[in-house]
Parts: sequence; structure tokens; C-alpha cells
Amino acid sequence: MTEEQIRRALADITAEADPTLKHLKMASLVSTSFRERGIELVVVGGSAIEFYTEGAYVSGDLDLCLVSPSHVDIRTRQEVMGRIGATGGPRSWQAAGQFVDVLGEVETLARTPFDELQAPYGPVRVISPEDVLVERVLISVYPRPYEPAAACARKLVAVALEGLVELDWREARRLAELPEYRILPALEKLVSEVAHELGKPSPYHS
Amino acid sequence: MSWEDWLKGRRARRQAGNRVAPEIIRRPAGSNDRRLRKLFQGERGLPFKKAEDF
Repeated sequence: MTEEQIRRALADITAEADPTLKHLKMASLVSTSFRERGIELVVVGGSAIEFYTEGAYVSGDLDLCLVSPSHVDIRTRQEVMGRIGATGGPRSWQAAGQFVDVLGEVETLARTPFDELQAPYGPVRVISPEDVLVERVLISVYPRPYEPAAACARKLVAVALEGLVELDWREARRLAELPEYRILPALEKLVSEVAHELGKPSPYHS
Repeated sequence: MSWEDWLKGRRARRQAGNRVAPEIIRRPAGSNDRRLRKLFQGERGLPFKKAEDF
């Protein structure tokens, strides 16, 4: 991106008052800026949940993780973020009226690919919905019941059951059974409850 | 997915989620509260639109 393109993008993102659009536009600008240095990022956390559910969950910080390479040195991170007008660092910056965190290597166990959104300033990768769902179900019950995570999971199941998001139920089940999660009964219970509330069959009831 | 297609689906996604959970589910508190509330005038982020405003 040229300096002028970055300037215009930052003006647009700064003026954006919709929290979800603001995050995704910024994710687009940040992803493109890192991609120009051969670095691939993926959106995780609340912004990923928001991308799939429009769930009114996200707060004022955008979380991205490294896809490849698995490590980027501090100087490179500061140079890339500095070029788009960010302040702070070396893992968290402020830019265009929000916080941007570039964390370590992405944690993903799903075999399904990342989603990709053709956003205004370049493609944005988003962690797969199966990863998001199983992670939220785990957080909703361990270490103790946590309602915000359950609400996220319920909304994600609802949009998937309504056919608004493509979610591989078999893959979610496989993830939930993994030793890293061991959360299958909780996943099946939550999916069954939401399916019942929507008047739809649960994908886990044959 | 194109940006336009994603934008078109916003209202339907919000409405589907609203059938099984409260409309706004932003956490009331979190580890970054201090910096968020400083930037967003006491809140943890910008206000959300209602489903009907999409």
C-alpha cells in the first residue's frame, strides 16, 4: 500500500462508529501491511466471534495471531505497525481509535481452513468457526460456568443451524473429543438446547 | 466471502443469535478494562447498532 492509501484507510477506520466494521477494516489494513512483509495473520477472539455471529460481543481491542512465520521479531512488528500510524507495542498498539494486539502463533486444532473475507483494504483471515465454537464451549464450563462464553457459543450454533454460517458439525465433534478439549458432552448439550429452541433437529441426534 | 455478501448477512445473523441469547453480550469486565474504559469514555468499546439498524 502507498502512503496515500494508508492515510485514506486510517481516516476511514478512525471515522467508523460501528465496532464490528471498525475491527474488520482495521484487521484488513493490518493483515495487508504484514502480508507485504511476507507475514500472514489470522483474526481470533471476540472479533472472530463477531464476524460469524454479529453477536454484539466485541470490545475495543482487535486480536490477531501469527499464521506464518510462527515468530516475527520485535523490530519488524514495530516497523509494520508504525507505518500505519500505530503507537505503543511491541504486542499491543493503539491506532485509529482502537487497540490492536498481535499475539503469538495461532492455536488451532481444526482441519477446516480459515475463513477469508475480502475486506476493503485486503483479505482478512478468520479462525475457523469449529475452533471458535469448541473453545467457547470449553470456556463456558471450565474452570467454572461463564455465561458470556455460553452466549457466544449459543449464537454461533444458532447462525450455523439457520444456514447463515457454514460449520462442519463432524469436525466440531472431533475437536470436542480431543484430549486438548474433552468437552463433547457439553457441546452436544448446548447444540441440542439451541436446536430445540429454534425448532430444528440437532445435528448430533441421528 | 465478499465484503458485500458479509454486509448483507449482518441483520439475519444478529436476529438468529437474538433468538437464543440476549442481543448484547459484551463482557461487563475484562483484563483490559483500564485501557478500554480510558479510550471509550468509560465503556469497553463503541456502542452496538440494533438489528433493525443494519
